[in-house]
Amino acid sequence: MAKQKPEGSLPVILDWFKRRGRTPFPFQHETWSAYLAGESGLVHASTGTGKTYAAWLGPLLEWIAENPDESRWTSLNPPPLRVLWITPLRALAADTEDALRAPLNDLGIPWELESRTGDTSATIRNKQRKRLPTALITTPESLSLLLTRADAADLFRDLRAVIVDEWHELAASKRGVQTELALARLRHWRPGLRTWGLSATLGNLETALAILLGTNQSGRLIQANVPKPLKVESIIPPTMERFPWAGHLGTKLLPEVIQRIDSGNTALVFTNTRAQAELWYQALLEARPDWAGIIALHHSSLERATRDWVEQGLRDGRLHCVVCTSSLDLGVDFTPVDSVIQVGSPKGVARLLQRAGRSGHQPGAESKITCVPTHAFELIEVAAARDAIRAGNIESRLPFERPLDVLVQHAVTVALGGGFRSDELRAEVRTTYAYRDLLDDEWAWVLDFITRGGEALRNYPEYARVAVQGDKYIVTDTQIARRHRMSIGTIVSDASLRVQYLKGGSLGHVEESFVARLRPGDKFIFAGKIVEFVRLREMVVWVRRATGKTGIVPRWGGSRMSFSTELAAAVRTRLDQARLGLFEGSEMQAVQPILELQARWSKIPAPDELLIERAKTRDGYHLFFYPFEGRLVHEGLAALFAYRIGQLVPISFNLAVSDYGFELLSPDPAPLEDAIEAGLFSTQHLLHDIPASLNASEMSRRQFREIARIAGLVFQGYPGSHKTTKQLQASSGLLYDVFARYDPGNLLLGQSQREVIERQLERSRLGHALERFSTGIVTMIDVPRVTPFAFPLWVEGFRDTISFEKLSDRVKKMQLQLERAADTKTRTRK
Amino acid sequence: MSDLQIDLHNESLILLPERAIYWPRLNTLFVADAHWGKAAAFRAAAMAIPESSEDDRARLDQIIARTNARQLILLGDLLHTKASRAQSTIETFSAWRATHPNLEIVLVRGNHDERAGDPPSEWRMTCVDAPHLIAPFALQHHPTPSPEGYTLAGHLHPGAVLNGAGRQTIKLPCFWFGAHVAVLPAFGSFTGTAAIRPRLGDRVFVVAGDEVIGV
Repeated sequence: MAKQKPEGSLPVILDWFKRRGRTPFPFQHETWSAYLAGESGLVHASTGTGKTYAAWLGPLLEWIAENPDESRWTSLNPPPLRVLWITPLRALAADTEDALRAPLNDLGIPWELESRTGDTSATIRNKQRKRLPTALITTPESLSLLLTRADAADLFRDLRAVIVDEWHELAASKRGVQTELALARLRHWRPGLRTWGLSATLGNLETALAILLGTNQSGRLIQANVPKPLKVESIIPPTMERFPWAGHLGTKLLPEVIQRIDSGNTALVFTNTRAQAELWYQALLEARPDWAGIIALHHSSLERATRDWVEQGLRDGRLHCVVCTSSLDLGVDFTPVDSVIQVGSPKGVARLLQRAGRSGHQPGAESKITCVPTHAFELIEVAAARDAIRAGNIESRLPFERPLDVLVQHAVTVALGGGFRSDELRAEVRTTYAYRDLLDDEWAWVLDFITRGGEALRNYPEYARVAVQGDKYIVTDTQIARRHRMSIGTIVSDASLRVQYLKGGSLGHVEESFVARLRPGDKFIFAGKIVEFVRLREMVVWVRRATGKTGIVPRWGGSRMSFSTELAAAVRTRLDQARLGLFEGSEMQAVQPILELQARWSKIPAPDELLIERAKTRDGYHLFFYPFEGRLVHEGLAALFAYRIGQLVPISFNLAVSDYGFELLSPDPAPLEDAIEAGLFSTQHLLHDIPASLNASEMSRRQFREIARIAGLVFQGYPGSHKTTKQLQASSGLLYDVFARYDPGNLLLGQSQREVIERQLERSRLGHALERFSTGIVTMIDVPRVTPFAFPLWVEGFRDTISFEKLSDRVKKMQLQLERAADTKTRTRK
Repeated sequence: MSDLQIDLHNESLILLPERAIYWPRLNTLFVADAHWGKAAAFRAAAMAIPESSEDDRARLDQIIARTNARQLILLGDLLHTKASRAQSTIETFSAWRATHPNLEIVLVRGNHDERAGDPPSEWRMTCVDAPHLIAPFALQHHPTPSPEGYTLAGHLHPGAVLNGAGRQTIKLPCFWFGAHVAVLPAFGSFTGTAAIRPRLGDRVFVVAGDEVIGV
């Protein structure tokens, strides 16, 4: 039978929709036609509006049209790999597989559909080694792993389409860059390959599309325009007098939260950190012991099996409440969820929308989120976030520009997967958005780095990673190949240790730094249980069940979330209204007495005004600055101001930052007036002063950790292997120092500084802030006590030190920290 | 350089900011945890780490010149791993050894030396198992009390945590003297420090730039 026109198979699909009681949305039709016309593009739609089938059914329509004779459809001989489906989360793979399988089963399409992620069993992997399924669901990391196979080009011979799910999540990350590079590889083998991205709301969708497609093609942006009603509520504390001004626990509102949970069938309680999730789970269980068995905990450090069980329980509607972190932010369709609770500030507008979308997942249903402030100021943030949603001010994501660490890793990947010629791979890499402006020098440096280790290793032949044979770059050493495959990826975590019961099961992972502080007999909360630390042996933390109470919870690293520009602007607007006496909405009315107190003790600054509060406590001399720009920008400003004051007098500072402002604390008074006179807020010499202040602080060294890991300067060890790699461990701070001294021209050092400046400090935001101060009003107030604005900074536990004194002078003013009495060790700060 | 002299079991010891101890009576230097060839081990595993042992050799030259010591006793962990025995490491240190023809060097083996093996013969070092006894001291790698003398040891890479006004805090490499055991700071420049938990009565001296300061 002759092939049909692609659209000819549409009735089959329409009929399938009809049988399910649905009608396709116009954006789904549009996506199918565009796909069939050979186009690529990005589909933008809110969660739960049918993005998945918009992307998936195009390839099916095409295949049906090419194979119209149903009698010849046989699952005995499924077609070779045609569609790659990339998902950012392994956890999503199972759900996606179910969703994609439905039309295959219903219509009897003989495609083989499988997942391949870090969780895939060895049996399936082995089978896939010989032959890949018709459609493969995978992660960016697993895709890169496929690229390391010597027969990689062959594997993708029949590939028609790549679909990238949750592209908004990947686009502006190094995982996104890794995906871009993989896509460039696939397009090199399969010119005409169609790429489709699926994205939730973003401020810069056009850029997201450009990143997805690279520089060699254009594509279509398809907007769903399916209305999604959304409601953002807060729980208002009954009495503000007793409500804290700072903190992160927020269990003060536990009774109200319990009431909310009970008023629905299934609730998701989102927290911002894993530690907070553990504490809330404990608090809920303690208050409602009758919920044992129908309340669960979900975060990324728990055992896979535990998480699977929780996810299945959510789908089945078996669970009444799940306390979770961003681990449940994405895609998974938990239809039974009818209530979403956000503990603490959502920090960004898009995140709030995303989480709200976990409820009312079906097309047309209302999404509702209830925000639970953990301290008073978060009420302002909820009001501000609602304003921003109403005004459509959703965050943009800043794309990465030429991150060389990811390129180093990719070059080794390609060298493994059949090898490359320099000019060819350079041209291919330049078709990606991230490396469109890659300099010849940078490319030459990358090649030099992977072959000889760069300039500093000229005389050390023991180093060899990639070999050059003729004009081809390849990996010949099997050890190196094995280690590279183990290290693929851009997700960096601290060295983590498995937590296991003496008798039986394993609970999950905690960071080494947490275990280092424990002593046998110490109790801590983990995986929703109270356990007692027995011993650490062979990278396993052995524990036993314990009873009683403890406030100790593992802390996991990872950067703390910062206000987005959009949320910061909305908060400033709300504060300015408050300054003028306007308190609109229940949140602002609730926080009114505290803001009035702030105005009485100090003031609420106007939009063009920088407020500085000066106080003396038994800790020392405090300077509190309030630019309201978000903690990342504040981190940069704090280091910059410390540096500039440090140029006037030898002084040491202790720094604390919040989303509202930052604190410079010193043992001696800082000459603030002199510093302002000398140009504390000046936008001049920033190109010199910012890097200098970064070097004085820990920021560049901290950023280098991720870069060192991605570029292969640090090896995290073999997963699941008891073989420790302790001899090959060095702290990233130490590595940074060694490079800074012995290989200062290493481009990865420059990259780490650039990433701090461009991404973390968001240089433009920092510059704008300085301009605001230098043209606006600066108000300095000596406050007799710590004000409401200052309080969160004053109690902030995460602090940095920066010093411009001679080391020995500093030491002479300090005391040795002695072994503390056993009962006061490692207490959780509440 | 600002050294610091202490008395210990009726002996006078000088703590050097180069992270070594000098014992004038026997004209001997003590150094612990050099971890030479650590970067080479990384390189052998395809991690491109530059060599920083130049700094180690410069510091050794400096203390030998400053004290005129006739003997250097290494308190273990001289070579980092087997892979540290790269040609580049061996050649560089052989050349350095030749510049000190009259210096006697003794290595008291540590846990890393067990795996890495004894140093090459060109380095002319006498290798002994712990404890190496020179009264009143028991010289060894592991910081365990010894019935045969006061222990001078390494292994821990000790770092002292100091606190000060204005919530200042800092961690510096240190010499740590307890009732029965003393721990030297790690000498190697490509090593980190681990925070120690000293008890009341312990004596701790930090290395602050070019000064040794009692804290």
